Amino acid sequence: MTTAIPRQLDPQRVQRALVCMHFDPAFAAAIRGDGRLDLPEPLTAAERDLLRAVDPRALKTDAMRRARAVQALLEEYPVSAALLGMPVVDAFFSSLRFREAVFTRGSMALAFASYLEDHSALVGGVATIEAAAAAVRRAALRPLPAADVADPRAHLQCNPRFAPRIVPGGTLAWYERALIQNGADPLRTLAELRRPWRKRPPRGGQQFLLIEGKVGGSLALGGASEGLVRLLLAASRPRPRAELVVVAHELGAEGDEADELLDELAGEDLLLRVSAPPPAA
Amino acid sequence: MPDFLDRARALPRLGLGISTEYGARRQDGALDPAALRAAHPTYAGFLEVGVELAKGLDDDAQAWAARGWPTTYHFLDVNLDEPEDFDPAWLAGMRATIDVLDPAWLCGDAGLWHFGARDRGQMLLLPPILVREAVAPMAAGIAALREATGREVLPENPPGAAFVGDLHLLEYFAAVAEAADTGLLIDCAHLAIYQRCRGLDPLAAFDALPWERVIELHVAGGSEAEVDGLGWVDDDHGPEVLADTWAITEAAIERAKNLRAVVVECERNPIPAVVPLFAATRERLPADFTAATS
Ligand SMILES: [Fe+2]
Repeated sequence: MTTAIPRQLDPQRVQRALVCMHFDPAFAAAIRGDGRLDLPEPLTAAERDLLRAVDPRALKTDAMRRARAVQALLEEYPVSAALLGMPVVDAFFSSLRFREAVFTRGSMALAFASYLEDHSALVGGVATIEAAAAAVRRAALRPLPAADVADPRAHLQCNPRFAPRIVPGGTLAWYERALIQNGADPLRTLAELRRPWRKRPPRGGQQFLLIEGKVGGSLALGGASEGLVRLLLAASRPRPRAELVVVAHELGAEGDEADELLDELAGEDLLLRVSAPPPAA
Repeated sequence: MPDFLDRARALPRLGLGISTEYGARRQDGALDPAALRAAHPTYAGFLEVGVELAKGLDDDAQAWAARGWPTTYHFLDVNLDEPEDFDPAWLAGMRATIDVLDPAWLCGDAGLWHFGARDRGQMLLLPPILVREAVAPMAAGIAALREATGREVLPENPPGAAFVGDLHLLEYFAAVAEAADTGLLIDCAHLAIYQRCRGLDPLAAFDALPWERVIELHVAGGSEAEVDGLGWVDDDHGPEVLADTWAITEAAIERAKNLRAVVVECERNPIPAVVPLFAATRERLPADFTAATS
């Protein structure tokens, strides 16, 4: 038997659960009940009691709250949404993925990417493209990581404004056609969508993509060589240069080519010199 | 550092002013702050600029600042009780905006401005959880922002429909003001909403607040609405001010001996629709309550 450690009332935890109640009437009802709650962090009895006292009608005064949040997702995931259908998109706000974003200072749009992974059979490589776009769009708003010029231990890492991705063959062209099909006013098209698209994105084969988020908000989306994508994927966490030289050799670079390639990628800002991660304890 | 009541002596009297936020004037017929100042100088003594740094300053705010007219900076994008919200990029943006506006102080609702990280689609405004445990984190954020910017930071009581916790809103803000040693902004319309929501008299718990710390008041219109039989007030900044809000405004003016500024929040209305609102507010203020000329 485990003894519960008495926890202090945490107003932040209460506030975060209250946010979830505002977005999800079913969750608000569950709070008022006695059952187990599907939350990233359990509430104490006292915290739950505070929330039980909320009149459910008071959570409904902003009738458009959830619709606005759905709209923000549709703007970034127009094709994934068409493949999922609106009821499944809407159900995101009742999912643990959404609650995790609320409880961990996360990004709703990036949490939606995880939600799409839970539905990968429907959305396939399209979700990979839209999730990568959401990630690099955000990276372009942040300053780039950089190591001290003199740091001899500096590692190399893929620039977070570039997302190398491997998707099923033909996904990019399929995706671009789907965007056209969504029309000039995709939000409206999606709002009027009566059921999810029946067609599915490609499944077999491989396509290698590089997606770039630019300062100012635009995106560049295109094919890249398998070697480049795999090398950048290997550098998605900070790696010592020597490790990436080995990867480059495995990918077919010969002799000094590996070093030249890394220099070239660093020159094009695809690879960044970053501080080494702190050693694991 | 001297305590707040000493520091308050250095805060300028701004008189009666108006508020704006990014793009407010894109709405047809919305108030043009400079035009109001030209037509009624005493109604537009200063501009309270609502700032969400992701959007920046609009042309009206920039033009006002460029003329050197007085401003205050009303933040719309920071959860004061979350230290992670004061990230270097956001603070740099805030400092740059302060350089443009040179505001007399910073102010804004002490509530939840966004859930999760500060990201698109995640902006909202919820009041703080009204419990003792929520006082220290809010106070710490206020002190941190004051330190980081070198400006006074006046927390404002937010609006809401679902208030959680056993403290009265005024008890909570009293405790925050003491703990942060700061001044306060009382939004009379928001307070009316709170009192009604809790089924209380408009002036309930008035004595709980250290009124000498109140530097600024907001007056704004609201409209009564109903959802499933629950009456609530929409803080719509329209031209109709609730009687409760006037009662609170009058009682607040009487008590707030260090009052420096009063904002009539009505940014999305045409000037003729809101001139009576300014006149009614002006009437309730002491005759000498105008911007100090220096
Ligand atoms: Fe206000």
